[in-house]
Amino acid sequence: MSLDCLPVTERRWIGRDVVRVEDRSLLTGRTRFIDDVVLPGMLHCAILRSPFPHARIIQIDTSRAEALPGVAAVVTGADALAWCQPARSTPEGWGLRCLASDTAHFVGEPIAAVAAASRAAAEDALEAIDVEYEPLEPVTDPFRAMSGDSPLVMEGKGTNVMFHRVFTWGEVDAAFAGAEHVFTEKFRWNRVGANPTETFGTVCEWDPGTLELCVYGSIQAASSAALGCAGTFGIPSSKVTVKSQHHGGSFGGKGGARGIVVASMLSRKAGGRPVKWIEDRSEYLVAGGGQAWDRHYEASIAVSGGRVTALSVTLVDDLGASGEGFGALGAAKPLAAFTGPYEIPTARYDLSLVATNKTPVFPYRGMGPPPHFFVLEQMMDIAARALEIDPAEFRRANFIPADRFPYTIPSGNEYDSGNYGEVLDAALSLAGYAELRREQEEARKQGRLMGVGVVSTVEPGVFDWNAYAIVGMPQTGVPEGATVSIDILGSITVRVGFSMEGQGQYTLVSQLVADYFHVDMDAVSVVQLDTRSAPPSFGPGGSRLGVAISAAVLGACQRLTGTLRRVAAALLRAPEDQIELWDGNFVLKDRSGGALSVAKVAATMLARSDLLPPGVDPLPEATYVWTAPGRTPADDEGRAKSYLTAAQAVHVVVVEIDPDTGVVEILKYAVADDCGVRLNPATVEGQLDGSIAQGIGAALYEEYVYDEEGQPLVATLADYLIPTINEIPVTQKTAVVTPSPFTPLGAKGCGEGAIHTTPAAVMCAINDAMAPRGVLLTEVPASPQRVWKTIREANR
Amino acid sequence: MEWATVKPAAFDYAAPTSLAEALTLLGDPDRDATVLAGGQSLLPMLNMRLARPELVVDIGRIPNLAGIEEREGALVFGAMTTKAAVESSALVLRQQPLLHAATKLVGHPQIRSRGTVGGSMAQADPAAEYPAVAVATGGWMRAVGADGERTIPAADFFVTCLTTGLAPGELLVEVGIPALSAGTGWSFTELSRRHGDFAMAGVAVTVRLDRAGCFEESRIVVFGVGDIPTRMSAAEELLRGERPEPSLYRRAADAVRDAFDAPMSDIHASAEYRLHLAGVLAERGIADAVARAHPGEEGPNR
Amino acid sequence: MSSTNGTRPVRVTVNGTVHEATVEPRTTLSELLRSQLGLTGTHVGCEHGVCGVCTVLIDGKAVRSCLTLAVQVDGSEILTVEGLAAADGTLHPLQEAFSAEHGLQCGFCTPGFLMAVYALLTEKPDAGEDEIREVLGGQLCRCTGYQSILRSVMRAAAQFRESKLEWVR
Repeated sequence: MSLDCLPVTERRWIGRDVVRVEDRSLLTGRTRFIDDVVLPGMLHCAILRSPFPHARIIQIDTSRAEALPGVAAVVTGADALAWCQPARSTPEGWGLRCLASDTAHFVGEPIAAVAAASRAAAEDALEAIDVEYEPLEPVTDPFRAMSGDSPLVMEGKGTNVMFHRVFTWGEVDAAFAGAEHVFTEKFRWNRVGANPTETFGTVCEWDPGTLELCVYGSIQAASSAALGCAGTFGIPSSKVTVKSQHHGGSFGGKGGARGIVVASMLSRKAGGRPVKWIEDRSEYLVAGGGQAWDRHYEASIAVSGGRVTALSVTLVDDLGASGEGFGALGAAKPLAAFTGPYEIPTARYDLSLVATNKTPVFPYRGMGPPPHFFVLEQMMDIAARALEIDPAEFRRANFIPADRFPYTIPSGNEYDSGNYGEVLDAALSLAGYAELRREQEEARKQGRLMGVGVVSTVEPGVFDWNAYAIVGMPQTGVPEGATVSIDILGSITVRVGFSMEGQGQYTLVSQLVADYFHVDMDAVSVVQLDTRSAPPSFGPGGSRLGVAISAAVLGACQRLTGTLRRVAAALLRAPEDQIELWDGNFVLKDRSGGALSVAKVAATMLARSDLLPPGVDPLPEATYVWTAPGRTPADDEGRAKSYLTAAQAVHVVVVEIDPDTGVVEILKYAVADDCGVRLNPATVEGQLDGSIAQGIGAALYEEYVYDEEGQPLVATLADYLIPTINEIPVTQKTAVVTPSPFTPLGAKGCGEGAIHTTPAAVMCAINDAMAPRGVLLTEVPASPQRVWKTIREANR
Repeated sequence: MEWATVKPAAFDYAAPTSLAEALTLLGDPDRDATVLAGGQSLLPMLNMRLARPELVVDIGRIPNLAGIEEREGALVFGAMTTKAAVESSALVLRQQPLLHAATKLVGHPQIRSRGTVGGSMAQADPAAEYPAVAVATGGWMRAVGADGERTIPAADFFVTCLTTGLAPGELLVEVGIPALSAGTGWSFTELSRRHGDFAMAGVAVTVRLDRAGCFEESRIVVFGVGDIPTRMSAAEELLRGERPEPSLYRRAADAVRDAFDAPMSDIHASAEYRLHLAGVLAERGIADAVARAHPGEEGPNR
Repeated sequence: MSSTNGTRPVRVTVNGTVHEATVEPRTTLSELLRSQLGLTGTHVGCEHGVCGVCTVLIDGKAVRSCLTLAVQVDGSEILTVEGLAAADGTLHPLQEAFSAEHGLQCGFCTPGFLMAVYALLTEKPDAGEDEIREVLGGQLCRCTGYQSILRSVMRAAAQFRESKLEWVR
């Protein structure tokens, strides 16, 4: 609820810009990433992949490869059939095995793998594996895939439609029928994805003695990976240990499950020698976890009296050849914020998940709402333009009023708090909106294509599995735990179950504990445990970890304080309920008598059994596991209280288009946002900056392109255009703070952040710029070629 | 697609310390040898196993292959001269500002630190800047082979995409780029998706105006559109003797667009878009070059 | 030197220490540093020269270690991220600036950025924002959106102009 719950006169760390504890090791090159892990006897894996989008595998001959010097093991689909189950998937039953056995389903699907003395030797051996394929007709267009005469991606399924359902919330038909205006448009969002600078990597060791599997890896969610391994290999989960290395970003799209299974099989076949697999960039780009959101939309909104009364969205989501990447969750998540920041009483979602012979899609930062908001916000602008209402004011008129929170949206989720009008005002004022419109008028008189985008979105924060109930995730609750312990010298250690991947969560833990016990941050160490040792943990994802781990750490500190207070009461010879922790000391509430430091109490527990009160263990340590309270199972229309918090932002973007080349230049970028209490404002700003950059990438540069035959045309970073500093504008930012009433410190999830807003805002600005020409660009990214073509239509 | 790898296939390596030794190695008809200069194009190809030479001949240890000197009105670059050296050369900035401007557009400083003048020419990437500069300035290549040396005009050097007129066993040792004569206007314009990427299209222009301010001579070279940097003779002809004005540039742009039968096409720019861009950039490039020209001036650029 | 089969000896000075190693001709500098010399602070992100995370200094110039063969640098001086901090662990001012300005998140790309910027500022102490941006443009970061990196470098550049001696390694 607020930072005031901490037992100190003055907070020195939490809520302030704090230099990160992670930095020193990273800056000196000491942090051990997965490719830096070397185990005795370690082998190196390389993977042979399908060159065909769809093919029958007639035969595989690995004998020449096996005979090469240095080659320790070769595995193929036959081994996968013998040792593994297909991958778990959403929707259920659409997973593939880690190596194709009879059919290849997409270009880059693993066919065979080699473990050898070096990566180069393993790659040499791949060239000695002979595979005979019979190419089959691929299907790459999801609309064709849904038709009756399409080739089938998975023959046994009898269809390519993984899932189809229409959700109706309220009297949508009546709202459209009775509306003064109805607007309808189609949109295309092309595949984009995470592309962290470090790809996926793993070192796997299948111990033939204990029959246990140990996995090191650049893994975002270690506990999920461990359960996945147990399920795939049909072994008890207690026999699997996953230790995630600190890693080079993930953004939801680290992928890697196949690599873990392949490397584990190779280790098993090589007699238990550890096997390292480092995904190379081309493997990542073509067949890794980096592709998300391949979407075809049709949307309608109904408007009466300047208010939006209904929203209807039809989504055909191309998930590629398998549900193994859990890309379907991204189509389910928009239910958590379907109507954005607006009070739209009725809505419909017609959702089809379709298989094609393309790479399976995976999550990406934002997990689905960014394309949804691109569509919703274009529709808001289309309506505002037609009705000649200023787009900012049209949004304001439709905002959920500040006095309506907590507010339940038609698709079931509850928004905790907010003041959207204030955030809009802050953004417009920061951007100098009125002046911008005057400049635009001048520019238009000169024939220049200048446009302003004003966009508002909601970021659901602190995910819960129930958000994905509609595609087969039935659980409610995502626990995150922490153990806080104090040693005999008063040093504090916090044990957690997740690794560093960039958000500064170890710093956050240190800040919170240091303030709670009134010590310097240096006195706190954060230690990562593997999945068999750690308290329940999911790790980063769904804009959750800052809220979840701070709640867990706070709970553990409070629980530990309870134990210490019993000891302090005995030592101070005062009733326990008269004693409190304040500024690092146990004192009497009336401040009479002495004070005992936390360190002294802890040391007494460990070193003086004679002074330990009866029934108290000599254990100055407490574990607390937190899960978001009050989440509800989904009802028969998919409605659930899912995400705990709802941050909100308004972005104002100004662009100018060169009509001759189609090049879009961003002239100004202003942001106002409200993500509640900022626990380390500098890291919050870092998340915002990074997310804006990814949003600009998605809006203008990045795209996974396939040809009609299903061949991927993007295999290097020369073709997947991650923005450099020269493509990212300098932003102006301001913050509004509405503390969350539902989280212990008042913070809201903010890690995914601006990517919810930026693509929509840039596209709105582009379409505003082109409005005088009477054309609309409905496809992202807005590459120069696409923008030029759109403008040319107007000239015809 | 062919599956990409990340470690090169095995090869033999030689680092000759004399030109003669290098020519012997390259001249062996039984060995598939590749020249390694700065490696900024070759290494990605090796890592992905798209290039699989038996022998890599590293010419980086041959003395006197790097350096910039002035010779008979031209700037002469040893093949191993890095682009960083070109970029920081006061001589180049003064005498051949077009080359300087083009250099700033080649990749990034971290690539230019190793990428070489000779390497870019021999690579002959159709979207690369240096071949376009060589053609636009009337440059030349000096190659040495078992049968002696020869000088190849840039216009004849680039044969087709990634293919030059170097004979088997021949080594490019020098690149000559004539200095820009006084009064010559120039421009180097390209459009790429991101700063530092290969161009979707680009245009190098030099113009000379006579005392009356009319076009006396011009060279317009388009790159990134055809399979080699290409002189736009029709557009150049159209300008000759005319007074500079925007409508003329637009007609020149149309002539540029008409000059290509089969423009390149990739995921960033279709053939149609590339052709359109070539025209737009030509129009802008001519205007920029004219703005830099000093009518009627003669002699070397000092 | 004539053509040879198999492995070759190389001798390089890395962060002031002379190393002798035996490599296959196909071994890249990044692999030599990481696998044979144990200097894993230099990371590898694409192996085709675009991302820049493998950037190190060869004889004072910032280069991609994934696009350089180990045999090419025989006799050269290499500086890697491990050579920036002082022997007693005191961070280099450039490293301090990145920490102070939150110029890193996951930190995977950071060694490449540090080395590229180090090369620029030691060669051009008066480099302005345009030159800094030009160098930063050759390095990809997926976390920060670059704003904090630019602030870090501007801060470091100002500091460098005041106290050059602390800088040069």
